[in-house]
Amino acid sequence: MNEEGRREGRDPPQAETADASRQWLVAGSHGSRWTAFSLRSNFERRPLLWIAVCVVALAVGGWLILGAGGPPVDGIWLRMQERGSWRVGMDPSFPPFETLDAEGAPVGYDVDLAREIAAEWGLEAEIVAIGFDSLLDALLVGRVDAVISAFPYNARMTKDVHYSPPYFEAGVRLVVGAGVAYEEVGDLEGGTVAVEWGSRGDAIARRLQREGAGFTRLPFESAEKAIEALVSGASDALLIDGVTLRLAQGDGKPIRAVGAVLDEDPYVIAVSIEAPKLQSALLQALATLKEEGRMGLLEERWFGKTAGSEE
Amino acid sequence: MIGRFTSYLRRKSDAVNFIPPLAAWSPRAKKLIGALLLCTVFGLTYRSGFRNWVPLGPQRTVETINPKMGVHTRLTDEPDAAKIKRSLEMVREMGAPWIVEYFPWAYYEPRRGQFEWSHPDLVIDHAGRQGLTVIARLGYVPAWARPEDSHHLYLEEENYEAFGRYAVEFVRRYRDKVGYLIIWNEPNLSLEWGFRPVDPASYVKMLKVVYPMVKAAAPEVQVLAGALAPTLDPPGSEWSMNDLDYLQRMYDAGAADYFDILAIHAYGLGFDADEPAGESVINFRRSELLREIMVRNGDGGKTAMITEGGWNDHPRWTRAVRPAERILNTVRAYEIAGAEWPWLENVCLWVFRFPWDQKSYQDYFTFVGVDFEPKAIYLEMQAYAEGRFEAP
Repeated sequence: MNEEGRREGRDPPQAETADASRQWLVAGSHGSRWTAFSLRSNFERRPLLWIAVCVVALAVGGWLILGAGGPPVDGIWLRMQERGSWRVGMDPSFPPFETLDAEGAPVGYDVDLAREIAAEWGLEAEIVAIGFDSLLDALLVGRVDAVISAFPYNARMTKDVHYSPPYFEAGVRLVVGAGVAYEEVGDLEGGTVAVEWGSRGDAIARRLQREGAGFTRLPFESAEKAIEALVSGASDALLIDGVTLRLAQGDGKPIRAVGAVLDEDPYVIAVSIEAPKLQSALLQALATLKEEGRMGLLEERWFGKTAGSEE
Repeated sequence: MIGRFTSYLRRKSDAVNFIPPLAAWSPRAKKLIGALLLCTVFGLTYRSGFRNWVPLGPQRTVETINPKMGVHTRLTDEPDAAKIKRSLEMVREMGAPWIVEYFPWAYYEPRRGQFEWSHPDLVIDHAGRQGLTVIARLGYVPAWARPEDSHHLYLEEENYEAFGRYAVEFVRRYRDKVGYLIIWNEPNLSLEWGFRPVDPASYVKMLKVVYPMVKAAAPEVQVLAGALAPTLDPPGSEWSMNDLDYLQRMYDAGAADYFDILAIHAYGLGFDADEPAGESVINFRRSELLREIMVRNGDGGKTAMITEGGWNDHPRWTRAVRPAERILNTVRAYEIAGAEWPWLENVCLWVFRFPWDQKSYQDYFTFVGVDFEPKAIYLEMQAYAEGRFEAP
């Protein structure tokens, strides 16, 4: 564009003002009135042009709303439907959650959970055995559709992975005899707390003592001996992880957890962050299993019934 | 019509966007802008230079009944100066005078000849102030020193000298503070050798290039070699070479004159610390077999250091032990080093703390949590160093 054109192009459609800065101020303070007047007069002079502009705007807006803004496609869910199976990665080395039976078939709580969920969707659960430390990689590269393997929640991975609500809490709990009135750590003033020496429960007992808790820590060389100390009355309470607690309860030990989880370690189901349909279907399936009491039945099948009631 | 419409839009746009020349600034405005600029400069300087700084504190010494106690810290990816200091304070308070720390070449020479030492400065200065002796592990190839898209542990022989120059710059800067260098890590594993077939002769070539360069720059610095992963893979495995075979092949390739101390990795896995050594078993006393190879090759005058090792108490890892066994074996490992192995200078166990949870069995090698919560094993090692350890 030449110099003449630039000058012409700068001319406002209003009466020209000699003082450019003043003109700018006028436009700034009365811009809306000026714009309204200008639009109206232009619309009256060129109705066809403005109708065309409106049609184009409607078409573009409609495409943006109906096209780009529609529900995202979940390719993982679609492939599951085509395949007729839900591929679930797990490391079958952690009974009773997952292990291999005498024929080498995967069995356990997580295996049955995967099957129950898949059945909710009319699919088969296809168990893929993978080493524990490679499970997330297998999920991220699409080798499996989900991971169910007594798998801990990891906040650092939430940008890549979607986690279900917890289905099992493996964190450390304060445990007491079924008929004992202790309800929290504060009730143990002057009492004794058994721990497996060196365990997470041991570390928490020592921390609580540093923070002023008035109990005596009783370390035992194994979790089994610490549980026996509680059951026999040699100890008033016990600090132990959720898995060991549940196994002991299933073994008929009359013990129960009280108070809040002292060191959370929830087990969750991991699926791709790019599978919104699978995520919502998983949420729904877990809720259904819980509402219908099937989660509880699964737990009883693999851990046994509890002798005491857990709070 | 389109042309007229375009012309109209242009005229309208120019009219609205026209910006008049600025009026001259008043003296008051100039002062205000000057003050803002000063604040900005000061703020940026503070942010870059002082925010990640904590005082070194007074010079401390490690008190322990066993001067061979050590740990492998993992401060490489810990950017926070306060956490670096706290980690090293806790190592001292546990009673361990030795640490191994990793100083990746790619981090500190990101471009050829351009060195960035602020993070190593933090780690090494704080370690020294806590009275700790640092063993520096060097490795991790920067992108400029390897082919495009190659693995970060892939180093071709023609670039051994570039690696040597990094080692030289390192010792020139820290020769008064760091007396030990480990050249590479676990070269008998393919994954640590850039996913190539392992090659002891090529590793010895690396030593033959780097060792003289380091010695020329700082003769007093002791060079450690080996740091072999204990493995029982059969001959011809694509993944690794048996560490005993690899060490012998190092000697066959003439390694003896190109290192001062052998670095050993001594993991106990599921075995007690006193489980006898055997060529077909990986346990803590496998270190004795490596020592025998040193002696057999006329290298018995040199010492060794355990720069990685220990036991894991993960509840589901198949090679883990129960927490109580981990404590007992760890104490026993320190005792063996002190009482039975005069040729061993220290035992630096993997790993003191991670900057974040790994959410894997690796978390169960640590002595303290990410939040510095001491694990039971930390407190028991502290009791051992103070001479008051007692198993229940």
